[in-house]
This record gives sequence, C-alpha cells and structure tokens, in this order.
Amino acid sequence: MMSASHTPEETKAALHEVVTEMYDKIVKGEAPTMTLPVRTKNNIGFDNALGVYKYGKKRSVRDATSLGSAKQLLRALHVVEFIEEMIDAGKSSTLREMYYISESWGLGKFSSQNESNNLAEDLEVVTKCLREDFKLRPEEDGARMIGNLTLRELNRRGEWMRINARDDVGDSGYGVPYNVEEEKIELVEHDINFIMAIETGGMFDRLIENGFDEAYKCGLLHLKGQPARSTRRILKRMSEEWDLPVVVFLDGDPWSFRIFASIAYGAIKTAHISEYLATPTATYLGITADDIEAYDLPSDDLSSRDVDALKAELSDPRFADAWWQEQINMMLELGKKAEQQSLAKYGLDFVTDTYLPEKLADLGLA
Amino acid sequence: MAGTAERMAQNQKQVAISEFFEKNKHFLGFDSLVRSLITAVKEAVDNSLDACEEARILPDIRVKVTKVDDKKNIIELQTEDNGPGIPKRSIEKVFGQLLFGSRFHAIRQSRGQQGIGITGVVMYSQLTTGRKTHVRSKIATETSAAVVDIGLDTRKNKATKTNEDREIWELPDGSLKEHGLEITCRMKAKYQRGRQSVYQYLRMTSIVNPHADITFEDPDGEIHHWPRVTERLPRKVESIKPHPHGIHLGTLQRMCTEATDNRMTSFLYKNFSGVSTRAAKELLAAAEIDEKAKPKSLKAESYRALIEAFQGERLLNGKPVKLLNPPTNCLSPIEELLIKKGLSKTIDSRFVTTMTRTPTVTQGNPFQVEVGLIFGDGMAADKPVEVLRFANRVPLMYQQGGCLLTKAIESVDWRQYGLDQAGGRGVPKGPAAILVHLASTNVQFTSEAKEALADNEEVLDEVRKAMLEMGRGLRKHLEKKKKMAKTQEKFELVNDIIPAIAAKSAAILDRPIPDLAGSITKIMSAVIAESETVWNKETKQTDVTITLFNYTSRARAYTILAAWPEKDGATMEGNEHGGRKEATGVWAWKLDTLDPGQTFTLAYSLNGLERGDWTDTDVFFRGSQDVIGATKMDEKLLDEIRRREEVLADEESEEDGGDIKTDDKSDGDESDAPVEEEPPRTTGQQTLMGYGSDA
Repeated sequence: MMSASHTPEETKAALHEVVTEMYDKIVKGEAPTMTLPVRTKNNIGFDNALGVYKYGKKRSVRDATSLGSAKQLLRALHVVEFIEEMIDAGKSSTLREMYYISESWGLGKFSSQNESNNLAEDLEVVTKCLREDFKLRPEEDGARMIGNLTLRELNRRGEWMRINARDDVGDSGYGVPYNVEEEKIELVEHDINFIMAIETGGMFDRLIENGFDEAYKCGLLHLKGQPARSTRRILKRMSEEWDLPVVVFLDGDPWSFRIFASIAYGAIKTAHISEYLATPTATYLGITADDIEAYDLPSDDLSSRDVDALKAELSDPRFADAWWQEQINMMLELGKKAEQQSLAKYGLDFVTDTYLPEKLADLGLA
Repeated sequence: MAGTAERMAQNQKQVAISEFFEKNKHFLGFDSLVRSLITAVKEAVDNSLDACEEARILPDIRVKVTKVDDKKNIIELQTEDNGPGIPKRSIEKVFGQLLFGSRFHAIRQSRGQQGIGITGVVMYSQLTTGRKTHVRSKIATETSAAVVDIGLDTRKNKATKTNEDREIWELPDGSLKEHGLEITCRMKAKYQRGRQSVYQYLRMTSIVNPHADITFEDPDGEIHHWPRVTERLPRKVESIKPHPHGIHLGTLQRMCTEATDNRMTSFLYKNFSGVSTRAAKELLAAAEIDEKAKPKSLKAESYRALIEAFQGERLLNGKPVKLLNPPTNCLSPIEELLIKKGLSKTIDSRFVTTMTRTPTVTQGNPFQVEVGLIFGDGMAADKPVEVLRFANRVPLMYQQGGCLLTKAIESVDWRQYGLDQAGGRGVPKGPAAILVHLASTNVQFTSEAKEALADNEEVLDEVRKAMLEMGRGLRKHLEKKKKMAKTQEKFELVNDIIPAIAAKSAAILDRPIPDLAGSITKIMSAVIAESETVWNKETKQTDVTITLFNYTSRARAYTILAAWPEKDGATMEGNEHGGRKEATGVWAWKLDTLDPGQTFTLAYSLNGLERGDWTDTDVFFRGSQDVIGATKMDEKLLDEIRRREEVLADEESEEDGGDIKTDDKSDGDESDAPVEEEPPRTTGQQTLMGYGSDA
C-alpha cells in the first residue's frame, strides 16, 4: 500500500518549493520565509474521512528577521541539499548521522540533535513527504511481538523470510524493523482474536511467562514506552489488513493517556501522517483511573508535572469525549497514579487470571 | 621636613601597657602565625602611609618577606618608605612604647586608630625569636642615617637600644637616600597566599591609596608592583574638637580636669565642636551647673548631668538643647575617580562604578561612605562577589560576616541589578567585586581585633543607599550590554546568514544569486551606530571611531554627538570631520545625508589620557529616526549642563576652598577643593550617563 511514499523526482520537486519560497522573497527584497503548519494541540482537528486527528489550517511563517529563525532557514537549505545528494547517490543516513554531518555546514550547523530531528519533521510536514523519502532513518528501533501470527520479511540478503512470531522466535519475540512498509514486510496469516499493545517490558514478559497469548489467542506487542513510528505503523497494518481488534494496556498515569492518544488518534508531532500511523479502533484497556480504586492498587501521588499534564489533556481535542474527560477528572480528584505492575500486589498470576479476563470480558473479548 | 618629623614624634602619648600586650596578643592581631605577619606588615605600612601623608610626600613603599628558616617558621620582614624619617632621639619612643596616637584629644580620620602600633611588631619579634628590630632612619636635614637595634623591656615599658650608629644610606642605584625609614625584623610567622595574605593586604591597600607606589617581594622572590595612579595626595585632614553627642563620661571627666579654662561656658565653647556660646549656656542650665563653675572643680554628679544634657536627655524649657553638627572637613575620602583608577589597576575587568557619598554625622562623629563596584569577565561568575572592606583607608581582612559593611551589602536585593543572590539575601554571586570604605573620625569596631565594624544604623543606611545607586549603574550597564549583543546579532544576520541563504538557495535551484540590499534593509529597518574606543599603545592615545549604518529604505540626516573627557584635560586630535563643541565634554558633528545602505565613519584620537581612563564613548544623535547604539540627545539636559557650567565657572573664580559643601553631590563635584591641590574632576560620562562606565 504505502501510498505515502513519493518518487525521488516528486520528493525533490517538493523540497524545491520550500527553497523557491525563500529565494523569491529575497528577489522581492523581503526577508526569506518558510511557511509551515502550526504543530501544537491548538492546530489539530478530527478528520472525519480518515478517522484520525490531522493538522488544521493554522500556518506559521518562519522569517529570517531574527538570528535564530534565519539560522533555521539556512539549516533547512543545507538539509535539502544533503537529501538531494543522498537521493542521487542512492544512500541513506540516520538522523544522528545527519546531525554529525552538519558539523561541516558552518553557519548552518545544528546545535543539538533535537534541532535536526525537528527540522526533518518540519520538512516532512511542509512537503507532505515522509522521512523515508528523504532517505533519513530514525535511531529508535521498533518493538517486540509474540503470538501466533506469520509474516514475511525481506532480509538484507534480499530474500523473503517467513517468520511465525510464536514458533520461530525465542522468548524475546519478533523484533519489528524500522521499515514495516509492504516492500519490506508482508502480513501472511494469523490465528488470533485480538492484539494487545503493552507499555512495559516487565508486563510483556509476565504475560509471556504466564502463557497469556496462547490462553487467550492473542498477539502481544511491546510498545517500549512512547511507541516508534514503525510500531504504530505495524499495529495499524495488522488491525486493518487482518481486521483485528486492538487493546492497549498501559500504566495508569497522564503519560500513558498520551501514548494511547498517539496510537489511536495520532500524535501531535506526526499529525501530518496520522492516517498512516493511527489505529482509530484501538481501545484503552487499563490501568484506568477507576481501576486504582476498584482493585485498590498501590499508587503514587501525582506530581505537579503530572497534574499539569492532566490539565493540558482536558483541553486536548483528542481527549474531548466524555469517557476521557471523566477518567482525567477522576485521576485529578484521586491525586493518584498506578503502574501496570502494581497488580502484582495480588500475586504474579493475578493479572492474567483475574484482571485482564475481567477487563476483556467487558469488551466481549474473553 | 625635620620640623614635621619632630612634631609628629612629640604628639605620641605614652601608655604603659606593654605587659598587657604579652598577655593579650591574640586580641591585637598576633594570634596566628599567618595573621602575625599580616599584622606586622599592616602596622609598618600604615605608619608609612600616615607619615607620608602628614609630611605631604607621595609614598614609595617597599615590603620584602623572606623565609629564614622554613621548618621553624622564621620569617624576616623588611619595609622601607620615603617618608620624613624619625629623628634619632625619637626612635626609641616610636618603637619602644605602645602608642595610642592622638585620638583622645584630636578628633580626626587616621589610620593609626586601628592597630596597636609598630611597637607591637618589635615586641612580637622579640617574644618569638629573641631578636631586636633593626631600624634605619634618615631625615632630610642630616647627611647620614641613624641606625639602631630596638628591643623592649616589656615590664618596664622601656625600649632597649643597642648598636647605635650612623651610616650613609646608599640606594641600589648609587644615589643617597634623602629621607625615609627602613625596619627589619625577624619573627615566628608563616607566609601564605589567598584572601587573607600579605599580598591581598597590600593589593587592597593600593586600591584605597592610589597615590602610593607599593612594591612587594614575596618569599619566592617574585616582585609585585602596584604603581601610583595619581600624583594627588589625600587631602590634609584637619583635627576637630569632639562633639557633645559623641562624648563619654570618662573623656569628659579627663577633659575637665585637664582644662585651663576658668568658667564652664568658655570651656564648653572652646573645647567642643557644635557648641555656640548660647548653646553652652543652655547646656549648663539644663544640667543645672553654674555658668561660672570652674571645670577643674566640677562635682561627680555634675559630669553625669552634663552628659545627659549633651545627649538631649535633660531638657531646657521642655526641649533638648539644639547643637550644630560638627564640621566634616576632617574627613579625607578617596573620591570616585581615584577609587575607579585603583580598582581598575588591581582587578582586570570591564565595568567599574564608584561613588562617594556626602559626609554626614552619627553620634557626634562625622563619617563618609565610599563604594565601588567592578563587574566583568575576569572574575568567577558562580562564586560570591569579592567584598573589599576598608576603614579609614585600611583594609579589613577578617570577620567579614560580622561586619556592618558586609551586612549593608547583604541587605540589598541584588537580583534586580543583575547579580545572583539566593532568596535575595546574603552576599550576591557573580563576576564582581564590591568595595566599601568608611572614613570617620571614630570608627567603631565590634572588638579589639578591629576587623569588623560595629552596627550603626546611620552608617548602614548610607552604605545601603550607595549600594542601591551603584546597583542601578550596574543594571544600566548590563542592559546596554544586552542591547549591544542584540545589535551584534542583527549584524551577524545581515552580514553572514542572509548572504548564505541567498547563495545556498540559488545553488540548489541553479539560479543566479539575488541582490540582497532590499532584504537587508527590510530586516534591519534601522539606523545603527557602532562606536569603538581603544587604547593605542604606540601613540599613547585613545582612538575613537563612530560608524553609522543606514539600513533603512530612506535617506537620513543626523547630527552625531559624542561625550569625551574634556574635563580630565584630554585634547581631541586627528578629528578630520571638524564639528563643534556643544558643551564641555560634548562634541557634535553634522553629517551629510546618508543614503539607504550607506555607512559613514567618524574618527578622532584623545590625547593626554592614560590607559584605562576612557574606555567607552557614549554616542548621541539628533534626528528623526532612532539610532540603535546611540541615545537621542536630551536637549533639556544639555541646556542644563551648559547652565551648570556657567554657574560653576563663576563659582570657581570666587572659590576660597577648604570646606566640604554638604549639599547634594550630583550638582557639585568640584566643591571639595583643598587649597593646594587641583580639585578632582569627574568626567563627562558621569554627568551625561549617570554613574559608571565600561573600563
């Protein structure tokens, strides 16, 4: 599928538009500019056609009237030039490599890796190309997966390997690569009823040790905290191509709510490609605010940062529905948060014998 | 010269307390090996400075510390000055008895208040090494120098003299020493570097004695030299009579018993300051003492009654007796410009601001506060600022925390002036040093160690006020620096970044590099002035350039004005663009119309200044469009400066000198002129820009 990708010519043409905006401004005797969508929660809206959150119409203009933004423009030009060189030479580089390469860009040098990552995203947003089009790879690796599902992966020798994520892997499961598009991964077949995405490695391993995937015929996906693009992308592909329900099992704190939002509705930073990354059918399983009370879980007090995050979520359009408003307000009232692994209070099997079956039964999955 | 030397020697009063010393040396600055050396240097150097000052000689002081026996901590200290010297017969008096200066009778500002005197050094040397102090003294009227070894009989309070002789005092260059004193002694002591060291003491001494040339040879043979930065000696301080507000019972008793006056009225009128004949009568009436009573035969209860009348506790017709303030011409402040020079000399830094407050009075004692602040890159940014405390030009090195001067610094919220200060309390942090000098006829210490000033509300208030004013100067400097950094950014933007964007975008699109003038004008849309003031080593001149850039889309016409140190005697040279004088210290150039994108540079040199005297030029403009990097000329202020100059010019021709005017400092600056010396001149910078300048 990957209708998102562009040919090298399309990519170059899109990048040239960015450069032309700057050039033309100078010719007109004005300060060079770069126009891009505002990338905050104030500029994301629900796209009915796609069922995910996308950037709205708000645009910000970065103009070269201050030293800081002028340097940003100059850096963007260097990045454009670098991307074109890679496209022509048939190479790719990691974002971190690009950061180091910028050492030789003189005035256009990056002062932190964060800056170079943000600029790559800026260019994606402006050109509507993906960083794969730019031949830029993330540093982050994808997640781990276990369960009775089979896929084919093109290995580095150019051969397609058939892998069953239960029978052909060890205890650590199948490692999701950074590129999970069709040219690299093919979803073959499965014998599962749903997919469960899990925040922490400890809980992932607990479910495997307890044989949860077999007992409940499900695929387990370890998110490794805030999930990488490829993790969200493969979750979406499995959900759509195999028509499987997705449940998300996270800690019970404001940051987990955000992880869920990025999986289900689209992340604010990548709202330009939400339709490729978000899984709108995903369901938040727990830990919910009412779980903390209902199961009397060991909990920690909310820090002031937690409280600020919850308050910000109240005005985030992605949490605008009644269920989320209630959960967030409840957590604020409780003043408590709890980890997934706090379920161990009732023994190592409590999560697989009691908690998850009860929660899944509510959804009609067990 | 001999007259001065002899008179000074006679003034010393003898007090038999040598035995007291031996038992109480810890009170007197000889309590540790490190401190003993500092105290010894202090006593010798203070004496030299006082002697030179009184004899109106510009002091050249040499201090040499040598390690004689490192294991046993034996150190030899040698000090030499070019003072009047001591007549041979007075040497044993000066060195062999503990002296109390003259403070009980003559009230004036002196260094001597602060130590036990050089006798303490002689005594300490003898006690710790058994060796006598070698003295060489040459007075101007004699051809040879007197030499003698002085020891002490601490029980009899008598000097012991040995090896008396005369010799020719030849200087290293072969010439003969005209006059001066050299002391050589050996003591158990330790030389140490750091904040409490001989080095620091001399460095601080040099800051507040800018008229002194001080050389120090440390035990490693390294020579440290703090040159003289002014030829102007401190003003000769006048003695004043005590003021009733500052008198204690014991002193009053002694004054009465020693009095030669026949009647109490004349006794009060003649022996106290601030007491008119009318006030004398009123005081006596309040104390219920007969005006005709003989001071010598006053009764015990009358002393107390008189003291109560002095303090306003006994009323006359329901009111305390009104007394005049004592005169304040008995004080000798260092004065702003000289503190600035002193600070700049010993600390290498960017910004110096100083101020001298008007003298005022506390408990019958005149006092005056002076402060200085230096800020810049040379100092540690994350450490507490260095606090340099002085009382009557003597550095205070110990007990910083308990000192009134430190408390005054701590009472200011420095955060608003750009320094770090946790919770807005305590000594602030930052790359700065703060100097506080208290000049007073009666410096009150917390203890005999004389290292920390005792609490006094009026003094604290004065120091605080001075700190606040300096703080404002610092903030102004930091704001200016910020503004300059912003301008610098704009320059980088249009000179480097925009051309790079143009070149890179043209290269990517394979098109010609576009013309930048339009974009640059649009981005800057400002007129910018840049000034540079640099010391030219070769010509010994200060070179100034002022460049004006028109980055707007219209032609602009301006008159540029610059402040320059005309009052300090500088002359302007190589000023090819002519212009004219607008006021003293303000020069103006009417420039031709500046087209968009055009720049214009003015250049001139200042002659007759020393390095560091003038390091920043304030630029002003007249014209409609604002100029970044210059200040719009305040015509009213300029008129005021002109008017003030006229008034001052008139006053100066009538000036008879001698008195300190106690009116506000900001309009005077010239009034405290002693008869024989040039008055200190403040610079145009201070008049136009408030206190402080970059240094």
